[in-house]
Amino acid sequence: MKILIAEDEITLQESIVKFLNRDAHICETASDYYEAISKVSIYEYDLILLDINLITGNGLDLLKLIKKEGKKIPVIIISANNSLDDKVEGLDLGADDYLTKPFHLTELNSRIKAVMRRGKYDGDSNISFNEIKIKTEAMQAYVNEKPIQLTKKEYDLLVYFITNKNRVLSKEVIAEHLWGDNIDTVDSFDFIYVHINHLRKKLTDVAANYIRTVYRIGYKFTDEDM
Amino acid sequence: MNQKKKIKLLKKTSRSFLTYGLLAMVLSVIVLYFVTKYIIEDETEEALNSQAFRIEKLIEKEGVLINVHPIINTQEVKYVGTQRIKDTILYDPAEEELEPYMELITYKKINERTYKISVRTKVMELYDILQAIILSYVVILITVFLAQYYLSRKNTALVWKPFFDNLKKIKTFSIQSNKALNLEETDIEEFSELNTEIKTLTNKVISDYQNLKQFTEDVSHEIQTPLANIQAKIGNLFDENQINEKQYNLLIEISNNARRLATLNKKLILLAKIENQQFKTSNRINFTNILKNSIESFEGLNKVPILTTEMESIEINGDSYLARIIADNLLSNAIKYTSSEGEIIVKVVANEFIVSNSGEAAIKNPEKLYDRFYKENTTKKSLGLGLAIVKKICDNYDYTISYTFSDNLHVFKLTFN
Repeated sequence: MKILIAEDEITLQESIVKFLNRDAHICETASDYYEAISKVSIYEYDLILLDINLITGNGLDLLKLIKKEGKKIPVIIISANNSLDDKVEGLDLGADDYLTKPFHLTELNSRIKAVMRRGKYDGDSNISFNEIKIKTEAMQAYVNEKPIQLTKKEYDLLVYFITNKNRVLSKEVIAEHLWGDNIDTVDSFDFIYVHINHLRKKLTDVAANYIRTVYRIGYKFTDEDM
Repeated sequence: MNQKKKIKLLKKTSRSFLTYGLLAMVLSVIVLYFVTKYIIEDETEEALNSQAFRIEKLIEKEGVLINVHPIINTQEVKYVGTQRIKDTILYDPAEEELEPYMELITYKKINERTYKISVRTKVMELYDILQAIILSYVVILITVFLAQYYLSRKNTALVWKPFFDNLKKIKTFSIQSNKALNLEETDIEEFSELNTEIKTLTNKVISDYQNLKQFTEDVSHEIQTPLANIQAKIGNLFDENQINEKQYNLLIEISNNARRLATLNKKLILLAKIENQQFKTSNRINFTNILKNSIESFEGLNKVPILTTEMESIEINGDSYLARIIADNLLSNAIKYTSSEGEIIVKVVANEFIVSNSGEAAIKNPEKLYDRFYKENTTKKSLGLGLAIVKKICDNYDYTISYTFSDNLHVFKLTFN
């Protein structure tokens, strides 16, 4: 997949590129508004990560331009601005998602995949990993074609694991993905273990084994070394 | 503060006009009465004197004693009395009744003989004149006074019109609208000066407000960006799989602190936005649905059960985003401070939203509960902003929040307006 990262913060840009490259995406970068405009008009991208505050212009203007030209490119806004107005305006203008800085790269990754899955861009709305299959439109998971009953959180957890397969996910990152700001209420993230166990029990023995515990750190979803 | 009773400007000016006007009127009538009375009496006395003088001359020349009852009476007497003026009542044959008269009695020696000359004049007529004068004066005075009062009221209203018009405009002035105050021009120097000062002030307020807003946004942006960098770099390190457990734990700590800082930043900005009244929307929203979503979002996070036995579906006036924050913050507060054996009870009844959670003792400083950064329990990692935000939202939308402790329950009761 070819992704354009329009972000004026070079360090952040580099981090995102480095992270996404591991999933074999081709990443191109634009460090200011004009570079972004020229790249969007010359090349074709599968997705644009768009910062609102680009040094030489407003990312929302670029978004307007893309939509005006009728380009069907998914756009995810990444902004330091947590203001509701910006969020609403961005989504109204046709952005597919809005991510507030700071964010975890794994979170960004799962948002990218969620956007690509949406029917709007002819992507495959299903996720599969060996015998596990998830129909995201119906929010239903199957193991060996047999449906399994998951709670909302367990379902989110499974999707998060598969979209970030082969990556180490710390308890903190998982908790933040599932509960957002509400995780302020807990002092320790050890309770994640309980949720992982519930999920494991609902999968087959083989599938449950994909969720590997990384000692004292977190978890990793993988079928490597099996 | 010592509140003075307020009175309308027009009323106040007319009231003092009326008071002083009436006072002046009464005084001038009294003065006029005495002055006129004095003049009339003085003139009458003079007239009586000159009449007595003419009678005296007549006696001297002709030797005739004139008697015209009841106004002239002359007679020869043996003694000399003192000249005096007195009021008396005599029978008037023309009118056939007793009438009041003013009488001058004088004694004159003419050709070795003493005469007593009494001249009189009817007092009634004098007082009629006095009455007429006073009456006309009062009528003129009242007419002038009323005309003056009416005109001055009209005039005052006219003169103050630009002031009242501008006052209306100032009342509708909103700092958020970002529109400068457009005051009406006036030819009255004082008002014009006032307008200029108000314009300067409001423009300053608007620009300060804009700067503050900009500052809030800038700070948010400037802090969130380095935090995003930290978070992303840690993400990269995690992903490279080349770190040992010890390093990993250090990175998690850094990451957690970065998140804490980001949350703190977000909450402070939210607080500032509520204080700056940047949330102005007020719609009919279903609070119960918002609350249900909020409870759902804590699912799996609460160690203790959240009991929702009474959940009426209620609609409130407010902003759905802020209503969600109220629900989130009160729930998260309850979850944070409930021991693992306790429970949380959430109720929505009539126009009240009540969150109770088990506890052993009442909060030590309930008056500080809604202060920023106040922490009842310092061992918790709470930021101490959740309740401050709830309070600010309540203030903005006229909701009331109260805290009580009874039956081993901390109870937060929020009443919607």
